[in-house]
Amino acid sequence: MKKTILLSMATSTLLLHAGDVKALEKRVASLEEALEVSHKRIDKEKIDEAMTSKNNSFNQKAFIPDISLILNASAVSRTIKNSTYEGYGIDGFVDKIDEIPVNKNRGFNLNYAEFGMHSAVGPYFDADAIFHLSPDSFEIEEAYITTKKMPYNVQVKAGTFKSGFGRINAIHQHAQHFVVQPLVYEAMFGVEGIKDPGISVNWVAPTDTYIMLGAEVQQGSNELSFGESDSLLYVGYIKGGFDLGDYTTALWGTSIAKGKTDTDKDSTVYGVDFTLKQTIDSYSSVTWQSEYLHRDRDNVKQAGFYTQLLYDLNSNWEVGARYDALTKNSLTHTDDLKKYSTIVAYKPFEFTKLRLQYTFDDSKSFQNERKEIHEFSLEYVVEIGAHGAHAF
Amino acid sequence: MKKLIVMALFSVAVFAKVNVATTYQYLGEVVKAIGGEYVKVDVLANPRLDPHFIVPKPSLIGKLRREDLLIINGGQLEIGWLPPLLKSAHNKKINAGSQCFVDVSRVVHMIDKPKSVSRAYGDIHPDGNPHFATDIYNIIPIARLIARKLEQIDAGHKAVYTSHLKRFEQKYNALIHTLAKQMKSCKVHKVVQYHELFNYALHANGIKSIGNIEPLPGISPSSKHTVELINLMKEQKITTILQDVYHEKKTAQFIADKTGAKVHIVPHDVGATRDANTLETFYKSIAKQLCQ
Repeated sequence: MKKTILLSMATSTLLLHAGDVKALEKRVASLEEALEVSHKRIDKEKIDEAMTSKNNSFNQKAFIPDISLILNASAVSRTIKNSTYEGYGIDGFVDKIDEIPVNKNRGFNLNYAEFGMHSAVGPYFDADAIFHLSPDSFEIEEAYITTKKMPYNVQVKAGTFKSGFGRINAIHQHAQHFVVQPLVYEAMFGVEGIKDPGISVNWVAPTDTYIMLGAEVQQGSNELSFGESDSLLYVGYIKGGFDLGDYTTALWGTSIAKGKTDTDKDSTVYGVDFTLKQTIDSYSSVTWQSEYLHRDRDNVKQAGFYTQLLYDLNSNWEVGARYDALTKNSLTHTDDLKKYSTIVAYKPFEFTKLRLQYTFDDSKSFQNERKEIHEFSLEYVVEIGAHGAHAF
Repeated sequence: MKKLIVMALFSVAVFAKVNVATTYQYLGEVVKAIGGEYVKVDVLANPRLDPHFIVPKPSLIGKLRREDLLIINGGQLEIGWLPPLLKSAHNKKINAGSQCFVDVSRVVHMIDKPKSVSRAYGDIHPDGNPHFATDIYNIIPIARLIARKLEQIDAGHKAVYTSHLKRFEQKYNALIHTLAKQMKSCKVHKVVQYHELFNYALHANGIKSIGNIEPLPGISPSSKHTVELINLMKEQKITTILQDVYHEKKTAQFIADKTGAKVHIVPHDVGATRDANTLETFYKSIAKQLCQ
């Protein structure tokens, strides 16, 4: 580089008249002077700045985790009095419900504020925590670490987390397409689903079609299917997906959860699910999703399913309908518990959702007496802060 | 026998291609041009769809699982769909921050960087406008970055990548020259567009964008805003509306009917329109649509 400059300078000197050289020399000198002045000014500014001792030597702002807050509030109209509704049961499945986290009261509800944090811990782990705050409880919804550098494309998760069982167990309420989760989940796992401290291992197969294997061991404290005992809960699943052309995608899964009841009896839940999504354009699609669960709990055989159809008309509107049924119950022989839901969701902006749902519920009992429930709910869900993109 | 196995393994290593995923088609075209027969390219996004909201299909997870290199546009264009796919693929090689994760926005001078960032202004990109692919001047630095990365991770074919890059630069420098000449006779000086997708191409050619059909980024058109835009277009005598392939076209057509302007469908990526099926025709097609 230096050589080239010297050479070009030499050649240009030869080509230039003496007067031009003088003028150039002058310009170079003035440029050098200007450069020196500017250097001195920068030095002086830096020294002035350092003299004030207003420096943030220990500032850690850059390390603040991604933070998000989700708010959910609703207005509800229902044909059952609040005092009666509080203690509903599902015949043969649930004697009396413990808590109703969403749409508890007729009238107005602040359902929850969900506070989430996510960050890399270091090169080897990520950490996630989701705190569920409702008017009278603070709950650690999920708190876990995930590995980043395991060999053979294996990922390990440890902490408290929602199990990957089935199609929707791991999906949070605000990301689901209906206000409350399917009846079969509520009947078998309660409103919270399978969620406990434990460890999970996932592996994605290196194949052209998507195949994922997962295995989990959890504490297994879910009261409805398993129960507080010293035996652990073992969950396993295989999930897969394939494309039928550019715009059609199918997703399937089979799951098993095997544990013990609080009286140390065997309890196993099997699940199969299937989802078909037809993309029409960037903002509109039709999705059909169904799931069937079968439970063998201390030789009592029970089963149920849901099937739902959702139509995203454009980026603002979504309509959907779901049919829920509990179809098998060898204990009480009630196999006609049903629920119908329809929903209209309006999204004026990506992080804002208003949904109006009508539900006809013929599955709930009040002190062993079945009662039909008609319910309208208008709910909003807003998200602020860091936004995690939704999975398929 | 042992020798045979070693030889077989060796030959596999020699003929093994570098598996590269790119988020968008235009990046895939650059990788193909530089990598030639030594790379296998998977493009994740369908170019007919909105680049902000690609459906995170499970099949994409299977692909990401096997890649040796991931090249993204960056500037937060992929933030709404790529992170969960990467998380599910568990491929430590191509996670953000790894050596084989390349963000090409780093070599582009980003424009439209918002002075203040709030979602009250719509779905804005805090790092600036990420739609720089529409400006041909950006493609050469991007190609250089991709060539450097391929040379680094597949040093055995360094000479090939270097020579392919040289050929690429020659070809696109010539095209830049041709298109610049063509644009000189362009009579269009002001346009409106649906989303701020074409600012880089407009900026490079001295064309002003005076308004957008969407009132704020990511917000659907409102009648109030549309009426205001129509009045503005009449006042400033604007006859060109730039429309992308993936947003609804009714509003643009309505405005065109009211103002006498013409709707131009401009590709935002290679493969978005039928005549933009290669990187070369993509830039030719943009130039043609801007100045018709």
